[in-house]
Amino acid sequence: MSSVHLAVVHGEGGGTPGGRSAPRRAGTVGAQRLRIVDGALTCIARQGIAKTTVDDVARAAGCSRATVYRVFPGGKDEVLAAAAETEVARFFSSLAVDIGAADDVEAVLVTAIVEAATAVAAHRPLAYLLEHEPELVLPHLAFGRMDGLLRQVATFAAPFLGRFMGHDEADRVAEWTTRVVLSYLVCPADGVELTDPASVRRLVRLFLLPAVAALRGGAEAAGPCAVVPETPTRRKLS
Amino acid sequence: MTGPSGAGVVTPADGGTRQRILEATYACVARWGLAKTTVEDAARAAGVSRATVYRYFPGGRDELLDAVVSWQFVAFFTRLYDEVRQATTLEEVLERGLVFARAQVLGHAVLQKVLETEPEVLLPKLTVESNRTVGLVAAFLVPYLETRPLAPGIDARTAADHLARMILSLISAPGRLDLADPVAVAGVVRAELLAGVVAGPPRP
Repeated sequence: MSSVHLAVVHGEGGGTPGGRSAPRRAGTVGAQRLRIVDGALTCIARQGIAKTTVDDVARAAGCSRATVYRVFPGGKDEVLAAAAETEVARFFSSLAVDIGAADDVEAVLVTAIVEAATAVAAHRPLAYLLEHEPELVLPHLAFGRMDGLLRQVATFAAPFLGRFMGHDEADRVAEWTTRVVLSYLVCPADGVELTDPASVRRLVRLFLLPAVAALRGGAEAAGPCAVVPETPTRRKLS
Repeated sequence: MTGPSGAGVVTPADGGTRQRILEATYACVARWGLAKTTVEDAARAAGVSRATVYRYFPGGRDELLDAVVSWQFVAFFTRLYDEVRQATTLEEVLERGLVFARAQVLGHAVLQKVLETEPEVLLPKLTVESNRTVGLVAAFLVPYLETRPLAPGIDARTAADHLARMILSLISAPGRLDLADPVAVAGVVRAELLAGVVAGPPRP
């Protein structure tokens, strides 16, 4: 597993910009960061970002204002950035355990999509923001930021999908999967419920697995451009 | 649906006062951005009173800016429709459409400026528009899908909805795909995007 996954699994969560190079002091700094981050998340779930002050965060974290500024010199903005990073890392950490156990590509994709949708639905801070302050969330999900998110997901998914296909194919599959999840999250549809494994299995079989098969077929053929398969691929549908 | 028009000279044929206000507001946004454009600015630029602006847009600044975004959104898809309407196959629609749409996004100076300086003001509005647009794009694709044998388990409407979603996603963020390269686009459209959708060439 890559060092990203090790850091995530050990719950190190949000990093300083530019990454960690200093050796970790056991417990104190990391634990204090997490208490403040969790304090901020509690406040956001209750009242959103605009109304949350550093004092609110300090109170929720059980520490002083001064401590918050010592740990996060950038103040509220830095706390928010760390909170986002921490939640993303927690999500990937939990997902890694579940999809590491998956037997095949279909299981990886279904598990990943259901878990992502469930995590989003259950995330009280995110739910508050999507309802009351969507302008603070949506910029992170579109245009240039979506490109960054696609890369981040592909980096995370690479070792898991890499069990079943080459690296380039894994990147493409991770990207299509992320596009599907984001599309239905932002624009829900009748008949598609991303938290329901049966509904997701249908989506994965209809639209994602054929792309996987085509990519694997294309990877075996010579040349940079994949060719349209001459015969339709046989797929089991139950 | 209003036709596309740039933020230039307004003639009476363009559809009257409401359109004139929209175009004037757009010109203000181009200069000062969304957040700083006020009803007063729009009124002055359009050569009408504030009261007149409120008469056409009773919701005030928010309604006015939503209407400007909506108008530009419709204009964008009108241009896209004009680009692809002559296409005879599904592949051609998707390939020409993606290349054209991405070029339009990158070349739209006001859009790029707003995305860079105040995305949080524009993106919630675009999200609302996008959700409406999935249906419109899907409806456009259905006839092309009906001429093809489709993969088992898929009907034209389900396929069209999926393709519409992926098209909007790709236009917004191309990811690993170079949308300026028609050969790369053709490869991805035919192999990956249509993989689970079509089962063969168009019926004769």
